[in-house]
Amino acid sequence: MKYLFSILFAVLCISVAAQVDRSKLPEPATPKPIKIGNYESFELKNGLKVFIIENNKLPRVSYNLILDREPIMEGDKVGYLSMVGQMMRRGTETRTKEQIDEEVDFIGASLGAGSTSVFASGLSKYNEKILELMTDVAFNPIFPKDELEKIREQTISNLAAAKEDPGAIASNLNSVLVYGKDHPYGEIETEETVSNITIDDLKAYHAKYFRPNIAYLAIVGDVNPKATKKLVKTYFGSWEQGEVEKPTYTVPQAPEKNVVGIVNRSNAVQTSINVTYPVELMIGTDDQIKARVMNTILGGGGSAKLFMNLREDKGYTYGSYSSLSADELVGRFNASAQVRNEVTDSAIVEIFYEMEQMKKGNITDEELELAKNSISGSFSRSLERPQTVANFALNTARYKLPEDYYATYLQKVQAMSKEDVMEIAEKYIKTENAYINVVGKASEIEEGLKAFGELKYYDTYGNEVDPSLSKLPEGLTAKKVLEKYIDAIGGMDKIRAIQKMTMTMEASVMGQTMNMEISKMAPNKSLTEVKMAGNVMQKIVFDGEKGAMSGMQGNQEVTGDAALDMAMGSAIVEELVYLRDDISTELVAVEQVDGKDAYGVEVKSPAGKVSVRYYDAESGLLVKVSNTVEGPQGAMTLTSDFGDYKEFGGVLFATSLTQPMNPQIKMNIAVKEIVVNPDLDEAIFKIE
Amino acid sequence: MRNTLKLVCLFATLGVLAQEKRIEFEEYDLDNGLHVILHQDNTTPIVNVSVLYHVGSKNEPEGRTGFAHFFEHLMFEGSPNIPRGEFFKIIQNAGGQLNANTSNDRTFYYETLPSHQLELGLYMESERMLHAKIDSTGIATQKEVVKEEKRQRVDNQPYGSILEETFSRVFKGTPYEWTPIGSFEDIDAANEEDFKDFFATFYVPNNATLSIAGDIEIAETKRLVEKYFGEIPKGTKEIPRPTVEMKKLGDVQAEVFDNIQLPAVIQAYQMAEQGSEDYYAMQMLTTLLSGGQSSRFQKEIVDNQQLAVAAGSFPFALEDAGVFISFGIMNMGKTTEDLQAAMDAEIERVKNEQIDDREFQKLRNQIENSFVSSNSTMSGIAESLADYHVYFGDANLINNELDRYMAVTKEDLKRVAKKYLDPTNRVQLVYLPKSAQQQPEGEQLEADQ
Repeated sequence: MKYLFSILFAVLCISVAAQVDRSKLPEPATPKPIKIGNYESFELKNGLKVFIIENNKLPRVSYNLILDREPIMEGDKVGYLSMVGQMMRRGTETRTKEQIDEEVDFIGASLGAGSTSVFASGLSKYNEKILELMTDVAFNPIFPKDELEKIREQTISNLAAAKEDPGAIASNLNSVLVYGKDHPYGEIETEETVSNITIDDLKAYHAKYFRPNIAYLAIVGDVNPKATKKLVKTYFGSWEQGEVEKPTYTVPQAPEKNVVGIVNRSNAVQTSINVTYPVELMIGTDDQIKARVMNTILGGGGSAKLFMNLREDKGYTYGSYSSLSADELVGRFNASAQVRNEVTDSAIVEIFYEMEQMKKGNITDEELELAKNSISGSFSRSLERPQTVANFALNTARYKLPEDYYATYLQKVQAMSKEDVMEIAEKYIKTENAYINVVGKASEIEEGLKAFGELKYYDTYGNEVDPSLSKLPEGLTAKKVLEKYIDAIGGMDKIRAIQKMTMTMEASVMGQTMNMEISKMAPNKSLTEVKMAGNVMQKIVFDGEKGAMSGMQGNQEVTGDAALDMAMGSAIVEELVYLRDDISTELVAVEQVDGKDAYGVEVKSPAGKVSVRYYDAESGLLVKVSNTVEGPQGAMTLTSDFGDYKEFGGVLFATSLTQPMNPQIKMNIAVKEIVVNPDLDEAIFKIE
Repeated sequence: MRNTLKLVCLFATLGVLAQEKRIEFEEYDLDNGLHVILHQDNTTPIVNVSVLYHVGSKNEPEGRTGFAHFFEHLMFEGSPNIPRGEFFKIIQNAGGQLNANTSNDRTFYYETLPSHQLELGLYMESERMLHAKIDSTGIATQKEVVKEEKRQRVDNQPYGSILEETFSRVFKGTPYEWTPIGSFEDIDAANEEDFKDFFATFYVPNNATLSIAGDIEIAETKRLVEKYFGEIPKGTKEIPRPTVEMKKLGDVQAEVFDNIQLPAVIQAYQMAEQGSEDYYAMQMLTTLLSGGQSSRFQKEIVDNQQLAVAAGSFPFALEDAGVFISFGIMNMGKTTEDLQAAMDAEIERVKNEQIDDREFQKLRNQIENSFVSSNSTMSGIAESLADYHVYFGDANLINNELDRYMAVTKEDLKRVAKKYLDPTNRVQLVYLPKSAQQQPEGEQLEADQ
């Protein structure tokens, strides 16, 4: 009996062991201790601090040279720091850009530079060649003038596009308000500051800051530490020290009470919201780790409170997130969302609600657990890359962290209790000392914003503007604005005296130029020819009733609504058409255009296209036109700018124009010549 | 004497080991046919668990295009034990990361987890191999998601339809004719039975490879693999493996209208399948044309002649055939004719001119660097091992495939250029902005009626 029982028992055991219980998740095994790789470090006589992280898994090596300087002010040349690195890579005393490219490719390597770093990597068997190229770029750049102009043109065209980008505008506003314009983090890059940059600025910067006494070199990969030490001495030993001052800055403070900062975009369909303020959170403190856990719960991703509330529950937005960053000078809290106009105030209420929840400690065990686990997971996954070890070593040295800061990182994360989260939230989450920055359509959202604090208005570069000046004067109408424009450019009689005209223009975009010639005949015949090297690339004709386009993409006739639009554009002065009764116009806004007030007149074309034309409040001249078009990613706004008015035949015409190619690229157009009432053959406007 | 010899041998071995950085692995089959590959590396406490199903869009029956990719979505819907919507959350809560992808030839799923969660990874993958949830709710949900994906990635992406437009012409009449995203109509037309049948045919252990790389112990891992995958029954249906027979194309020219600003020229040539001798030469050729700032397309067409804002080439090698695609995105104010001529000129140059020693050495170095770098992560290693096993029946190519590249000679480059890059046997597409389209769609419809 006993025997039978034990057999039965054995069978039971076996079947239990073989049967997989799939009804619940398997228990995790005991977590392995996280080992952070070792490294060697030494210092050269000139002060260069070197770290070698030997990792022989793959026959590769990387060199990362970092300058540890204090952030610096760029003054009236904001933007030059971001050019330094690009320019270093474009020519040295002994190599042209083309030669650098070829030599880097020849060994299958990669090489890049920034204002405080030079990075190179490749196969370890080319170790020395990689070092040679890298140090050449680091020590002997010549900053060629023509390359600077290429970069400058690119930067300026990016800035032009950024004027219309709510993200870029919000970023300017946040920087200026949180840090102030007299802080290195609060400086704003503009067309003007970029134009001020000279080769000498770049050279002076390089001479001053590329010094070993403020530099770290991290070497990672398949290297022999002893041989590497020798190599480092050869290539970096004669690098000369230099005095580098350490400027100090006043620490920016959070506002005494909540302030609402608004940048008005009268054509916006969405509001960009940022609730933000500076925090004193230093790199490498225990608070930084705790703040990371706390922020992960609040707004760290798709399972965090902000996302669950504003997107999953309310459907206000595609995503809402927060960040709490540590920094050597000053950190920052930011909670953000892009929402449709009508829920702007509701979304702000919900953001503050979730911030409050954190301060009250209203979090669940599940939320805390998920945050800890996802931080631990991403920490251990990051260790797979030997570069992570290098970053840890560099941070430990640069910020004088305790030696075991990273070794005990996850323990500290795991040790967090709900009380700890609440404590850290009370310390860093401020619901009464925040900037509530919004970029959006003021006329639709400002009423609802008054509940959150004093409203302050800014332009796209973060300069405060007087909102009382930005109100439409009593009695002003679209018609009056258009009439003022007609007067400003010379008056009705002089305009009517122009029966024919030709306009010669030169357009440039991304370094390419082409020529355009437009001929017009009153009331609405026009011919546009785009030429390159004397050849007509594209031709657009409007004969007063219908249009035709021809060019390399074939021929196309324009009829119907599109032809009605073309008819308006073919007038000698379009505003004459807008004054007609059958065209609907409405005065919609006062907005800053390049720092000056302009009145926005909305024009609906017969084809239903809507555009807003901005006329300078003072001079009455047209300065900007914005069109809303349906793009692949939804509605977007494309704008054209007008300036440099000059007189031809008694009438002022804009001679400097920009036309958007797409939201990122603008084409600059210069009007070279306008001939009024020339001898034109009417036959050129005929469509065959 | 014998001792000395031994010592020499030992040194020689050590030398080779230190130089080659071999990736060690073990592989075997379960009784149900599941192929298992294990790579142990205990340096970082993470593990990558991946499953490759040898089914891609080319296995789709007629009228059911997009199925393989649709399954990639369906497989996250859960199982009898994993509620809908929980798959992601369970992995995330375990500190892990996951994703999947589908090609013309296979479908691939993976998780990277802290190594103490290895068992969880095996459980999750075995759950869906054993009994993935295939029901009307999941199918309806994923139909919408996949449509959004197609809109975002193909329809609304500038030049996003290049592969679709190219494959449909280059591979006409073969199962490579359609791309993994497939068509809305086919997915909409499919019913629950079709999906269940597809699952029962292809999502079976004897059509799958389980590849695990990372911080594991081999014996324990084998035990766990048996525990979770051993009980999954072998598939009973025959797994269709379509054959691909390429036909001569002739000179095919077409215009494609897309949401773009700058026109583009696409030239597509038929090419040898992956793993063939010619394939390695074609890979080297593409490096010559478009690898890095100093490559020929970049230097000549973009920098010197400024005909294009970007130009390059990419060989698309599949299991049973291949296509070599070169492209140029036209610069402002240039013409597609000039761009096309410049691209042709570079191709002709490869055919007629012997590449010099330095440039040839550059190619070899670039290839070596990218080969070495491709195995820098556990997820990369797991995927490579599975691919090499499934496509070439030799997982050890992860260690020695480079030899095949290094066997390519300068003459080979000329030879394959002449053999495949034939302008009288290619598809040339000119991408033009939609705004340049001649007839508005509405008018065309009216004319038809």
